[in-house]
Amino acid sequence: MERAGIPTALLCNLTSIAERVGAPRIVPTRGIPYPTGDPSLGAEAERAWRRRLVERGLEAVATAVHKPTVFPVDQESE
Amino acid sequence: MDASNGAPTRDGADTGLTRLVHTVRAVALGERTAYADGTLTVSGPEAAAVLADPALAEVRVSWASPGDPARIVKVLDAVEPRTKGPGGGGIFPGFVGPALPQGRGVTHVLRGAAVVVAGFVPRAQEAVVDMSGPAAPLSPMGATHNLVVEFTPAPGAAWEAVYEALRKGALALAARLAEAALDAEPDAVEELPGLPGPGERGLPRVAAITNLQTQGTFKEVFVYGRSFGSTALPTLIDPNDLDDGAVVSGQLGHPSLKNPTWVFQNHPVVAALRARHGVDLLCAGVVLSPEPVDAANKELVSAHAARLCKAAGFDAVIVTKEGGGNADADMALKMDALEELGIPTVALYAEMAGADGTGPSIVVPPTKATAMVSTGNYDERLSLPAMERALGGDRVDVAGAAALDAFELPTAVVYASLSPLGWGHLTCREAS
Amino acid sequence: MTRVVHYINQFFAGLGGEDTATVPPASKEGAVGPGRKLAQLLGDDYEIVATVWCGDDHAAGPEVMDDLLALVRAAEPDVVVTGPAFTSGRYGLACARVAAAVAAEGIAVVACMHPDNPGIDEAGTAPVVASGEVARQMGPSLETLAAAVRKVAAGESLTADDGRVGKIPRRNVTVDQTSAERAVALVLARLGGDREATEVPLPRFDQVTPAQPVADVTTALIALVTEGALVPDANPDSLESARATRWLRYSLDGRDVLPAGEFRSVHGGFSTVWANEDPHRIVPLDVARQLEGEGAIGTLHGEYLVTAGNGTSVGNARRFGVEWAADLRRQGVQAALLTAT
Repeated sequence: MERAGIPTALLCNLTSIAERVGAPRIVPTRGIPYPTGDPSLGAEAERAWRRRLVERGLEAVATAVHKPTVFPVDQESE
Repeated sequence: MDASNGAPTRDGADTGLTRLVHTVRAVALGERTAYADGTLTVSGPEAAAVLADPALAEVRVSWASPGDPARIVKVLDAVEPRTKGPGGGGIFPGFVGPALPQGRGVTHVLRGAAVVVAGFVPRAQEAVVDMSGPAAPLSPMGATHNLVVEFTPAPGAAWEAVYEALRKGALALAARLAEAALDAEPDAVEELPGLPGPGERGLPRVAAITNLQTQGTFKEVFVYGRSFGSTALPTLIDPNDLDDGAVVSGQLGHPSLKNPTWVFQNHPVVAALRARHGVDLLCAGVVLSPEPVDAANKELVSAHAARLCKAAGFDAVIVTKEGGGNADADMALKMDALEELGIPTVALYAEMAGADGTGPSIVVPPTKATAMVSTGNYDERLSLPAMERALGGDRVDVAGAAALDAFELPTAVVYASLSPLGWGHLTCREAS
Repeated sequence: MTRVVHYINQFFAGLGGEDTATVPPASKEGAVGPGRKLAQLLGDDYEIVATVWCGDDHAAGPEVMDDLLALVRAAEPDVVVTGPAFTSGRYGLACARVAAAVAAEGIAVVACMHPDNPGIDEAGTAPVVASGEVARQMGPSLETLAAAVRKVAAGESLTADDGRVGKIPRRNVTVDQTSAERAVALVLARLGGDREATEVPLPRFDQVTPAQPVADVTTALIALVTEGALVPDANPDSLESARATRWLRYSLDGRDVLPAGEFRSVHGGFSTVWANEDPHRIVPLDVARQLEGEGAIGTLHGEYLVTAGNGTSVGNARRFGVEWAADLRRQGVQAALLTAT
């Protein structure tokens, strides 16, 4: 998709695989079974985390990159 | 202390384990469960009684033997009949026997037979064993006389309860079958070495890190009867404990990349190490490790496993996995962590190179280590012949066909064909 | 006498350059263009009985392969040769695909192009040997190619020494030792200091040139896509749980949420309990709609694309990516968020 000119934020947990296969925009998630979730949080906190992930993804697609780049969401609570 | 109550014998030394091997050359159903002159006879009603559980409305057993025009589909697990004495004597700790380390004394083995559970459970990926034809040599169960357990769940029973009942029943039945050979003269007596003592030097100490799938119900592995936690730290056990069923499969994912209970009982890497024990290496132990589902825990577990190996004084390590590409990451991280600590490592990888074999082979290769064994290409297609009997189900949905039909399948669907524990003879070579 | 059929493009067939890149498949008896020199190098035991060519743009189309194959077959070749394509991307692609199709029919074939030619990975199981970078290097390229043709026609396999480049297919074989025994042998070799020995060479992944960033997400059309296999509860289009061969699209129009019970994940590679409790853990529609409502996103695309990323072959995954890209571009999507499990 990137090759076709569609900047794509990859939200995934195994970021080393993503970097190795050359995905340019990577947003690390907290678990394989829940890329945009975190069941250890209460419902509201989980939605807040999800929102921050998506926002970071939007930042990533709006950022110029030249090689696999990781866009983490910081661990501290907002 | 008496071995038959399940407690380990105290003879004051790490004397290892003695396997009394009874070869099964022929099988039958009959009035009494018995073993004589290489023939194992099973009483259907007695087997059904052993398997009985409120979660199961009905169970039935039948034999499928090597060479039969038979296909077993929806294979859930396979167990080798073993016992340490009447009533089990401690076998399958945490299930049949009390949850205590075993791996000492004597264990009777009915070699050439297996209890195979087959049938529909949701979340199970389709798994096929052919007893004849080109796929037969690709599965360990293609070469064993299989007592196939088929079942009907009780109405309203939760699938977790059904699966648990099948697991407990299969283990109990496996122990019961082996009991029939307790008084028989063994065909072979195999002395398995104990762990090398601290003073033993000279030969390199090689250990096996055995990664276990730990993704919760239907995708888990049991150690001493307890589900190995996905964030548990790796632990060291005596390889001989595996012989007594300390590790039992509870996972229903990728069939070719499964480690059935039978294969844990006959851990191929341990067997290969034992074959060279005292010759050019010492078989120094087994490290059991979870395969966590997130990157942070994968890193911690892998780093810790490497430290554990260093602390235990291992000179080299062979790493195995269970599962697909996700599990490759666990192996790669461990290989790299071990190499960083100066411990050479080898890992057994299955390749996912596409049907024509030209795709990139390994989902997550190591970055520092290089020594990888290939257990074959997951995607390579096989042509399976039509069969006269099908057990475990009527259809093979992944092939869009009836279970009795001839059809094509990727090697991925044949049970344990890419054996991550190294049972198989498959590998990949470059074609012209 | 070994019958050879040679595939080239419009330029080497002498028809012109880019202006003739759309000419359809055609063939002619005998050698054409560089084929003449190739025939000389091959010698009297070989004859280029026909030359098939096609315009590079035309050759990239989907149905043309059947026509090309028909022309090749009509000449009854013992061996087929494609190229040299040097670094010309479309020509290299055509050479590779013709070679792949011919190989799939069991006919001996060899393609020739520079190792950096983007088409190099499309040759399937057909061998590819290296040419020089530019047409000026035709001479030495043809020498490599001629030597390769002789070997391939004789049923011999090509190796790196023959100039072989690109993917070499790996096939399952049964050997005497079990994988476990081979692992022990390998660990002893490793302990003995051998750092090279391995049964699996390390893979080579493609370089991906990142797309230009979206200038302004607040006015952009953004799509949600996933390999987490989230589908309507009944899985009406039967998405596979593993080794997926297809992808699907489901409408998000008029939806602000994906309720549990209406959607679930059929992915076989992880425990779907959490996803089924809350499908937003796979496709984050709830917060995406929120952001759209607040003007942080211009517009959310009206559907999401889905497949199952469990044991998916790289070939299929690549194809899905290409098809998703084409589909999204056709609908004006400017960026995507891909959730992976």
